[in-house]
Amino acid sequence: MVRSAENLRICLVASAGGHTTQLLKLADSWSGHETFCITTTEVVKVKLQKYGKVYTVGECNREHPLRVIRVATKCISVITRERPDVVISTGAAVGCITCFWGWLSGAKVVWLDSITNVDRISLSGRMVRYIADVFLVQWPELAKKYSNVEYLGAVI
Amino acid sequence: MIFLTVGTLFPFDRLVRAIDEAFDKGLIDEELFAQIGESSYKPRNFESVASLAKGLFDERLKQASGVIGHAGVGTIAIAIDNNKPLLVMPRLRKHNEHVNDHQVAIARKFSELGHILVADDVEDLPDGIRRLKNFVPKERIAAPSTVADRIRRFLNSLRD
Repeated sequence: MVRSAENLRICLVASAGGHTTQLLKLADSWSGHETFCITTTEVVKVKLQKYGKVYTVGECNREHPLRVIRVATKCISVITRERPDVVISTGAAVGCITCFWGWLSGAKVVWLDSITNVDRISLSGRMVRYIADVFLVQWPELAKKYSNVEYLGAVI
Repeated sequence: MIFLTVGTLFPFDRLVRAIDEAFDKGLIDEELFAQIGESSYKPRNFESVASLAKGLFDERLKQASGVIGHAGVGTIAIAIDNNKPLLVMPRLRKHNEHVNDHQVAIARKFSELGHILVADDVEDLPDGIRRLKNFVPKERIAAPSTVADRIRRFLNSLRD
């Protein structure tokens, strides 16, 4: 899946709001690679545009299972079409869905759990932890509490 | 000028109304400008818009002596990045202002660290507004480049 000696194709995925703010703090990490984005609302499209094509899939959370299915279908179709080598996400539900589908399609997974998760990792993060190649948290206490998570500092 | 921002994703009428009423009570004697997003409450005491383009938002922020907002990460980040005193009131799930209470946790943590002021509820706003005037936010040492570098090294390892 990974194209060696070439630029990687990277899917950047974050819900609107703070998740997107935190994703953009990581911009230095993917420069030089080919990127595209998945987000939840049109409002943030403009912030992500410089990192390639932006797919807007709609908001969803666990309380609206039907909406989750609709959004998941869109994420799956984007991933199937774009076939990224890596998925980088800062959450939330849309990030989780995309990470799992990307992983099933052979992509590597990088997750940065949102800084709002002070005492425990987010529900999405707790699931993605099992498939992530790199899993980063933003509070040192969380790295002590969970295995296979790294704390290197906060992005905000 | 005080800049009030509640994000653009969901309404936050409880905060917009409380700030409007703070003017009635004489708690704010400065000019205030607000980005109120989807909020349906229309303030009587100050100018407001639903949303501002990024450039205009940044301009208002730079002019502001202080910022009042919801406890969204975007709002907290931009206030800290610009070294602006920030008073937040967290959105609460019980009022259908967000899907959960994560804003309470982040507001508490950042206020404990001295970076922002927090009003847990409307009753705490008068005290928060008073303190905002002289509040000097503690400098925050974040490490976005260290985190980005970790990811960059991982990406490079995939190319070898």
